[in-house]
This record gives sequence, structure tokens and C-alpha cells, in this order.
Amino acid sequence: MTSPLFEIDALQVAVEDKQIVNGLSLTLQPGEVHAIMGPNGSGKSTLANSLMGHPRYTITGGDIRLQGDSITEMAPDERARAGLFLAFQYPTDIPGVSMINFLRRAISARRGEEIPVREYRQLLNEVLGRLQMDEQFVRRYVNDGFSGGEKKRAEILQLGLLQPLVAVMDETDSGLDIDALRIVSEGINTFHSDDNAILLITHYQRILRYVQPDHVHVLIDGRIVESGDASLAERLERDGYEPFMERTKAEVLSS
Amino acid sequence: MTQATLEVATDAEIKPDELRDQITALSRSKAEPDWLLAFRLASFEQALSMEWWTGQEESWRRTPRERLPRRARVGRVAGGSNGTPISVPAHVFAPDAHAGMVHQIDGRVAASDLAEHARAQGVIIKPLAAAARENPDLIQEWLGAVGPPADRYEAFGRALWTQGVFVYAPRGAVVDESLFYLVTQDVQQGDHWHYTLVVAERESQVSLIDGGDADDRRADLEETPLIHASVELIAEDGANLQFASVQRWHRQTAAISTTRGRVGRDATLRVTTAAFGADLDKQRIDIDMSQNGGYADIRGLFVGDGKQHIEHVTRQYHNGVGATSDLLIRGVLTDESQAVQYGLIRITPEGQKTNAHQTMRNLLLDDGAGADPIPMLEIEADDVKCSHAAAVGPVDPDQLFYLQARGIPPKVAERMVVRGFLSEIADGVPDEHMRDVIDELVEIQLEPVKASS
Repeated sequence: MTSPLFEIDALQVAVEDKQIVNGLSLTLQPGEVHAIMGPNGSGKSTLANSLMGHPRYTITGGDIRLQGDSITEMAPDERARAGLFLAFQYPTDIPGVSMINFLRRAISARRGEEIPVREYRQLLNEVLGRLQMDEQFVRRYVNDGFSGGEKKRAEILQLGLLQPLVAVMDETDSGLDIDALRIVSEGINTFHSDDNAILLITHYQRILRYVQPDHVHVLIDGRIVESGDASLAERLERDGYEPFMERTKAEVLSS
Repeated sequence: MTQATLEVATDAEIKPDELRDQITALSRSKAEPDWLLAFRLASFEQALSMEWWTGQEESWRRTPRERLPRRARVGRVAGGSNGTPISVPAHVFAPDAHAGMVHQIDGRVAASDLAEHARAQGVIIKPLAAAARENPDLIQEWLGAVGPPADRYEAFGRALWTQGVFVYAPRGAVVDESLFYLVTQDVQQGDHWHYTLVVAERESQVSLIDGGDADDRRADLEETPLIHASVELIAEDGANLQFASVQRWHRQTAAISTTRGRVGRDATLRVTTAAFGADLDKQRIDIDMSQNGGYADIRGLFVGDGKQHIEHVTRQYHNGVGATSDLLIRGVLTDESQAVQYGLIRITPEGQKTNAHQTMRNLLLDDGAGADPIPMLEIEADDVKCSHAAAVGPVDPDQLFYLQARGIPPKVAERMVVRGFLSEIADGVPDEHMRDVIDELVEIQLEPVKASS
């Protein structure tokens, strides 16, 4: 049997000496959509950023593997070129750097060779059209002055252009109105294929109405406390995180 | 090129009688009108009445003054000053298309032309010495009209200049393409005193790009060359004057410039400066907004490396009602280079409804680099909008992470952020070719190995 597409193996992550992620394990097979749901402070953003290699987060234990190869020691740009993608919760604005220039460099980096101008224009127009985005959009500076919805769409635009193997979506649904949520979700679904995998990290269940997860995991205090199918998300929507948090507390006390 | 060979700037005793004779001889050799000789000699007396500096002045306190020559020499008066073209190396800023151009090396004229559509409107671009002979009324009216010199260098500059340009747009004249004034520094010649005078009469529109380059950037010089530039920009009522200067002087040069802008009623003045060369570059930019409703946009860009010192001393002087001025300085500092920005917004009781803003941002790419931005407000009117912001720091790690997360290697990512950071200033340059040149110079200056630049 071939190795899984993406494995998080007993991952531990600290921020400024504070342990946030405590031995989290997860395996994504090609074609799968996983959702990690957790309340505020459960370690969602720490997990997302550490998977991508943000220097502020220190991996203190465990391993991350992409197609069987460890990427734990890799720099963020190496992880990206290997096929990992992070859709940022708060995309950073970079004034003076145009989207069109940035995207071309990113695609070329991912492919390992310069994308020809003609092909680039075609690809760009195709993905822009799919996301109902104006062509003028890419003349703007990266995330500079973008509305919340535009920023999220720009992340999905990049997802569509870069064609990663594994996409980690960090609270992509937050701050979106219902129309934007639908367009963004369609963007994710269009990207999704049998060859890639998606890890949705979210607080709310609502994006899961549009992007159907195969597996849902509940994240409390930096570890997965429950896993199930899509019905788990519905349970969370109904009962909230409270029962899981109570249970975790009880376990900690009794241990 | 390392800074190890840099000589300490030398001082030279000022001998007034000798210099007066030399100034007189200089003026005579250029067949200048008597009033111009009188202007030179009066400026010389003003210079003598001033100190170089006491070191207590806010505008001099932070300058590494030991690196500045205290020197006033009359430069060589070379042949060819009557407008005979001479041959010089290609200039890095030579434009593809332009409405007019003057190119000088060491006071000699290498090229001078003006497009017919501009000439037909009465627009002038010519060496200042030629203008003094051919357009004496205009020069007499406007030369030094911006006010008395701010310091001894500027006063000496008015007395000793051997090269310069005059640009003139008569009332209502409109020239869309930029005019170019190119200067090639003759590095063996030593000191250079430049004088640039631009007059945009009422409702006219003119744009001048002033580019300075060195003829031999690799030469190892025994003495620090001093380059002083006096720049006087006059935008009369309703005029639109744009000025951009880009310098890439020899790396041992001490460059001092004084740029004075006078903004008429409802006039627009845009000034952009970009500094790349020199050991020390000290720019004084003084904008006089004494008329109502004027607009001034002042932008400064620099990329420092080695032990370069780059300094901006700016003043936005508001004495009219409802005028607006924006100052935006952005620089990138590598190695052990240092920057200082001392910026003053001064609003008199007459300056009601003023909008005045200043922003200074310095990106430090190496531990040894440093910057000292000092915004100052002196406001005596009670109905104004003012803001100032100053920042010094490294490249935002979140910006780098974002680019890296898209597969872009750290060094490339840093370069992208830096160029983006500077592009907002370069966008103020009113000529596409020139913006490209600035972009290239940024790139060259950021290269870790300077020997090839």
C-alpha cells in the first residue's frame, strides 16, 4: 500500500515556551476532506501555521509527512513547493507588490520553472472567472485594501492556481457573507479531486454545508478528542463544544 | 567597493580676496551680464558672513560632519561651455523619449535639444550660463528668488556654480513629456557646484528629471569630492511643476543639495528624489506654501549600503490658507548604512485649513544599519489637519512568511517586499523610463557585492 498523502504524527507545537498543540495525529488519504473543529483557544491557528512552518511556532515533537516524506525540518517555501498550501485566516497585505507579479512568481516557484506568459494569462482568467472576480483585481497590491471577502477569495484564487497536494484552510469561512461563502466553497470544491486532500480548520459548521467532509475531528486543548463522520459536525452545531470541553477537563483531573 | 580607502574630508582655508578674483574671472570667462557677477559676489559675501555649522543646528546635529569637506573652490572653467557639443560616455539615465534635454559633464555641454512643440510654446531648457546670456531678464528675475541661502553651502553654491540648467514654461504652456537634465560627474575634477532653476509660469505644466551619474565609478579617489546642488523650483499660480532627481554619484562623494520649492496659489509641485550613490548624501528640501490652496507632494527614496549616510532635512512651510503638503520618505538600509530624517511642518497663524502630513519609513535589512527619523510639528493655526508618522524596523516577518508560504524563497521574498515598499515613491516619478531606471538601481544597490556596480 502506498503511503498516505499527508500525515500529522503526534505533533507538539509551542509558542514562546507555551505548549499549544499536544500530540496531535491525523492522516489524510488522497481525495479526502477532513474538518478540524474547535472552540477559540483550542489551537486551531497554531496547528495551521505550524504545518506551514511559521517561524513563530516551534515544533517540539512529532512529525509531519507529505507523501511519506518528512517536511518537519523544511522551510515554509520548501513545504509550499512540495505541495502544501495554507489558506490564511488573516492574509497579510504587501503594499507595492502586485497580485499579478506575486501570483506568477508563486506559480513558477511551485512548478519549478517559469510559467509562460500566455499560459499564465489563460490560467489566471479561467480561475478568476470561476471565482467571479474582476480581471482588474490582480492589478492591485497583494491583499492591500482588500475587504474581508476579497481576501478570502484571493486565497482561493491562489489555491486554484497553485494546485497543491494538500490544502489547509484556516477559518476560510470567517467573515464571509452567504454569497461569498458559496463562491469560496465552490472554489474549494472545484479544486478538490481524487489526487489531493483538504484540511478545513473551522470554528463553525456552516462551511461544511457546502464542502462535504469525509471526517470531522474535534480539537480541544491542542489534541483531537473525538473523530467521526459529517454527523459529528451537526452534533457540534446542536450541542456546542461544551460537552467535549467538560469531558476533557474531567479526563485531565482524573489523570 | 569598500569604504576602507575613503580619505577623511579635507578642509581648505577660505581666502576671500583670491576667491573674489576667481569668481570675477569665472563670470567674465562665461560672458555673464554684470548683474550676475554682482549676484555671485553678493552670495559670496553672504557665505562669508555664515559659519559652516556650529553643530547645534537641528539641521546639522545628526550629520557626520567630519565626512563633509569644508571647502569653497572655483571649479575649472572648461572649454565647450559655449554650447559646443563634446563627447561623453553614455549616461545611465539617458531617456528613450523626451521633450528636451541638457547633458553636461564638468560644466561642458554634451548635448542640448528641445522638441519643436515645446519650443513653439516658448518653453526653454538650456544650460544656465547660456540662459543668463540669452534670457537675461528671466534669470535676473528668478535666480535666487526663493529666498536667502539657508546655509554656507547654499550661499557658496550661488557664488561658485559652474554648471546648471534653466527650465522655463511660459504662461499656459503645457509639455506632457519630461525634460531631462543629465549631469556626468567628472570624478577626477573634484568639486562640482550645480544650479538648477525651474520656473513654471501661471497655468503651465512642465516636468524635469535631473539625473546625476559618475564617469568612472571604480576610480579610487585621493580626496572626497564635494557636489553641491542648488535647486530652485517655482510653480506660479495654477501651474503644475514636477521635478525628480536621481543621483548615483561616485561612492566617495559628499553630496549636499538644497531643493527649494515655491508653490503659488492653487499650484501643484511634485518633488521626488532618489539617492543611490555618494558616501554622504544630505538633502535639504524646503517647500514654501505661502499662497492659498497650493498642493505639494514630496517624496524621497534611498537605498543605503556600506557605511553610507543618507539624510533628509525637510520643511513644509504653510503660510497660506487651505494648502496641502504631503511628505513621504522611504528608505532601505543595508550593511552599516545610516539614515536621518529631520522633517518640520511649520504652520503660521495665517495657515488655516492647512493639510500637512509627513511619513518617514526606514527598512533595516542588516543589524549594523540604523535610522533616525524625527518628525516635528510647529503649528500656530487652530484649524488644520496634520499628521506625522515615523518608523524604523526590519521587513515584516508576516509579509515574508506569506510569500514563503507560496513557495517563494526567503531572499526573493525579501527583495519583493523591499521593492514593493519603495515602489510607492518611485511611482511619483513622472516618466516611465525613469521609473524603470530607479527600479534597476534599487536592484543593483541591494546586491551584496558592490564591486560590480
